[in-house]
Amino acid sequence: MKAELDIVTANELLSGAVVYLGRDGALHAGLAAARLFGPDKTAERDALIAKARASGRIVGIETEKVAVEAGGVLPQRLRERIRANGPTAPYGPERQDLGAPHVSL
Amino acid sequence: MYRYDEFDHGFVKARTEEFRDQVERRVAGQLNEDQFRPLRLMNGLYLQLHAYMLRVAIPYGTLSATQMRRLAHIARTYDRGYGHFTTRQNIQFNWPRLKDVPAILDELAGVEMHAIQTSGNCIRNVTTDAFAGAAADEVIDPRPVAEIIRQWSSVHPEFTYLPRKFKIAITGAPNDRAAVKFHDIGLMASANAQGEIGWAVHVGGGMGRTPMIGKLINGFVPHADLLAYLESILRVYNRYGRRDNKYKARVKILVHEEGLDAIRDQVEAEFEAARGGVLTLPQTELDRIAAYFVPPEFAEVATEFDLEVERRRDPAFARFVENNSFPHRQPGYASVTVSLKPVGGAPGDASAEQMDVLADLAKKYSFGELRVSHEQNIVLPHVAISDLRDLHAGLVAAGLATGNIGSITDMIACPGLDYCALANARSIPVAQELSRRFADPARQKQIGPLKIKISGCINACGHHHVGHIGILGVEKKGTELYQITIGGDATEQASIGTILGPGLSAEQVPGAVETLVDTYLLARASPEESFIAAHRRLGDAPFKEALYGSR
Amino acid sequence: MALADPLGAGLPQSDRLRAFGIVALNGMFDEMDANGVLRQAVELLPGDIAIVSSFGADSAVILHMVASIDPGLPVLFLETGKHFAETLDYVETLSRHLGLTNVRALRPDPEDVRRFDPNGDLWETDPDSCCHIRKTEPLDLALAGFGGWVTGRKRFQTADRGVLPHFELTSDDRIKVNPLAYWNDSDIAAYRKAHDLPEHPLYAEGFRSIGCASCTSVVAEGEDARSGRWRGRNKTECGIHFDVNARIARPLPVAEATVFSNGRFIADPWRDWAEGDAADGVRYTHVPLPVFLEHRETFLKNPHPLGLLVAPGDAIESVAGDLGRFASVAIAFPAFTDGRGYSTARLVTERYGFVGEVRAVGDVLIDQIRLMRRCGITAFVVAHEPTRAALADGRLGDLPVYLQPVGRDEVPVGSRRFLRRAGPSA
Repeated sequence: MKAELDIVTANELLSGAVVYLGRDGALHAGLAAARLFGPDKTAERDALIAKARASGRIVGIETEKVAVEAGGVLPQRLRERIRANGPTAPYGPERQDLGAPHVSL
Repeated sequence: MYRYDEFDHGFVKARTEEFRDQVERRVAGQLNEDQFRPLRLMNGLYLQLHAYMLRVAIPYGTLSATQMRRLAHIARTYDRGYGHFTTRQNIQFNWPRLKDVPAILDELAGVEMHAIQTSGNCIRNVTTDAFAGAAADEVIDPRPVAEIIRQWSSVHPEFTYLPRKFKIAITGAPNDRAAVKFHDIGLMASANAQGEIGWAVHVGGGMGRTPMIGKLINGFVPHADLLAYLESILRVYNRYGRRDNKYKARVKILVHEEGLDAIRDQVEAEFEAARGGVLTLPQTELDRIAAYFVPPEFAEVATEFDLEVERRRDPAFARFVENNSFPHRQPGYASVTVSLKPVGGAPGDASAEQMDVLADLAKKYSFGELRVSHEQNIVLPHVAISDLRDLHAGLVAAGLATGNIGSITDMIACPGLDYCALANARSIPVAQELSRRFADPARQKQIGPLKIKISGCINACGHHHVGHIGILGVEKKGTELYQITIGGDATEQASIGTILGPGLSAEQVPGAVETLVDTYLLARASPEESFIAAHRRLGDAPFKEALYGSR
Repeated sequence: MALADPLGAGLPQSDRLRAFGIVALNGMFDEMDANGVLRQAVELLPGDIAIVSSFGADSAVILHMVASIDPGLPVLFLETGKHFAETLDYVETLSRHLGLTNVRALRPDPEDVRRFDPNGDLWETDPDSCCHIRKTEPLDLALAGFGGWVTGRKRFQTADRGVLPHFELTSDDRIKVNPLAYWNDSDIAAYRKAHDLPEHPLYAEGFRSIGCASCTSVVAEGEDARSGRWRGRNKTECGIHFDVNARIARPLPVAEATVFSNGRFIADPWRDWAEGDAADGVRYTHVPLPVFLEHRETFLKNPHPLGLLVAPGDAIESVAGDLGRFASVAIAFPAFTDGRGYSTARLVTERYGFVGEVRAVGDVLIDQIRLMRRCGITAFVVAHEPTRAALADGRLGDLPVYLQPVGRDEVPVGSRRFLRRAGPSA
């Protein structure tokens, strides 16, 4: 069964690192923690986006389509998969680490 | 090299302090992102896919060993141990943290560098020939004038909110290695009837989604009038350039839509009012700036170099000398290009260790001077031929001795979708695969000079329009496709490549390039006829047919 | 013509006030904010301003305000020698009640009195001359030592005073301040009641505007309050107030202080051109450039102060010869990213030599203001709160030096050809 759902993703203010809106309402570094929004949750999703944006503590926030396959979450766009996993031709470590302190989570 | 005086130091320090305050206000929540974005962009700080990216200005591509060492230090301390040298002769750091950026700007200010005007709709970093002040074919050293333009354009209050960004390139040599005809303003040294040297001014060149070759608006502007003339062009552009559509906002569109003659009339009218005014550049000021750029004290050195002997002894070194050295105006010297295009590497990337090695070698063998070329390599401008062997040995140890300058693997590539928020497709993996496919030096030599340029989107940071073979990444239905263009040329014989056919998958690209190369090898009149020369003679047809069949 | 430049430091206070712009001052305060007007006057002209009071029926109100701001402010009382005894008593009781410490009686020159009014009946034969020797002359002498003076005049008092503004510039270049200009009888009464102020003894007897005993009569119900003065004669002012100068602005509706000019926020005396405005009659209005061109002849005949609004894309060249007619040029920045106004500003000031106010209107933000200033813009209409705060704090964030020559006022620094710093008036 392949379901098409939305996730909400942004970049953290201090590190610029990719973060996801999680099931607990907070922002998380890993895609695995991302909350999945079905088509019936659009209003709730948009309210959460508006709230996050209003906080001024993140840089850019967007929804992205993902597919859930065999229990894993797969962003539909290549760009989003690269955001989730880091550059495909990496020079060093693959992703930005959030480090500490960070202000957005 | 130009050295900051107290005023330059004060200027850059004030800007850094201002940005520190803005970052603090942002982190404290007093500025939101919409308010902060234009402020950070004015200081070269972008947000890319994974992190912030800081673009540092390297004015006309000129660096001292001390500055290069500081860039290495920044890469190591605040980033991930590497940096990316760009086609704009700048360097980009891919992983800085917002709160570290003021400290990075302090580090830069300490070695007379900054990130001002590396972004935004303003006059960007002036670029020039990487061999300026060294090339044997040079008519005049463009760096003093480039420095004067840099100063004039720094935080120019009238031209900070132009319709779009504005790039000026300048060359003092008849063989254009700065792609001046693909800049908003391109300056080429020219002579008037009395034999005085001045500047031929081209306007309206550019790449992006509407590539245009710059048009000659004035064949000779004397040094004294150059700033007044530039300001006249900028004022006409600022007032009349389109602001309704960012894709039509560059000066190239204004020149194209209004016509060169109409623009010239307006510019000349402005110039009439401005000429002889406060912007007049007296010879004394030109001389004062030129004094910073006096040639180093060259030694009396052996001018003999027997390439044949070296070929037998050390083929890799001989290849390095053959490909990577460039004729110097001083007998016994050469300019050496250090390739940042190793097999399997990301074009333009250098590690902190490599930057340190380059700084050391520059100090030892090139009077402490380096250049960043617009083809994303590092140039040591003044190397004694007798030092070439030692220099090469030093480069080998650092993995910097690739002898492929000018060859098919000396590619330009933008960061592409691996890093860039604007990109539609990846560039680096395509470049890496091509470099492996054409890794054999013998094959490179057989093919001869061939420039491949790869962009990950239509903004054309990878200059694909002017690649002999250009590769443009696009996105179609969620997958990457690559359009192949042919026949582009960034030199004084400027031309824009034509698209050969439908986009190809990433896997098909190396094969397609092989097909084009094989077509050339079969069709060339002689081994001396280069790829671009053969294309000029033959046109697109045989290449198109080879790639797509006779449809 | 345009208000002259700027606030030069080092000028006498009165000059600063004048430079600051009477026109602007008149929009600064709520019509009824007499205290604010008075405080502003005292702050702008410290030690250089006095109040002139007749200690008449209404004088208690303004003197109460003076006492609350500065009891030591010089209070000039014209002791004409013709006052009611009640008035002289009232000078004593009111001064004591309010704690005024610097009441000065101005008496006529005895030589003048002997020469022009030996019988003491000049008020009857030639009231203007009587006022001149007993009021105008002594006051002129006393005021010579002050840059400005405060009056208790109210515009409701006579029909002629219907246009009385808060601030006026007199023909001898003094600032005349009328804090009560907009007050009426009931405002005065209410204030007097609220502060329990002693009443002039004659008020209860029907005297409303009280001057010299010889020339003051009782005012009937419904009559203009000053009609009791010089009753039966064609005279309404005594001469000391009759110098309202043509340079004085029409008082303007209360507006928010949104214009940043010469280092501070002031109220905006200017308005936008509106649908239905008449080219021959508007004043203090920024006329859009295309409208001006359409009705150029009419606008050129309009005698009132006018401004010009230049939008991005307007051809400033087309009005280059007419710029001298305007007191203010407003340059529109519909978005801060639209930089066309910078070129316009430089053309207006540097090429066409316009010396009046050049103001930025629209999306005016702190990070652009320093660029605008360099291009010749001197005033900023600011709505953006953080920008207002930054400006109020003087956080302009300007760079110490500029690397290129721009503008008329920047000064060369060092020996570098194009290096500049801000000039004296920036």
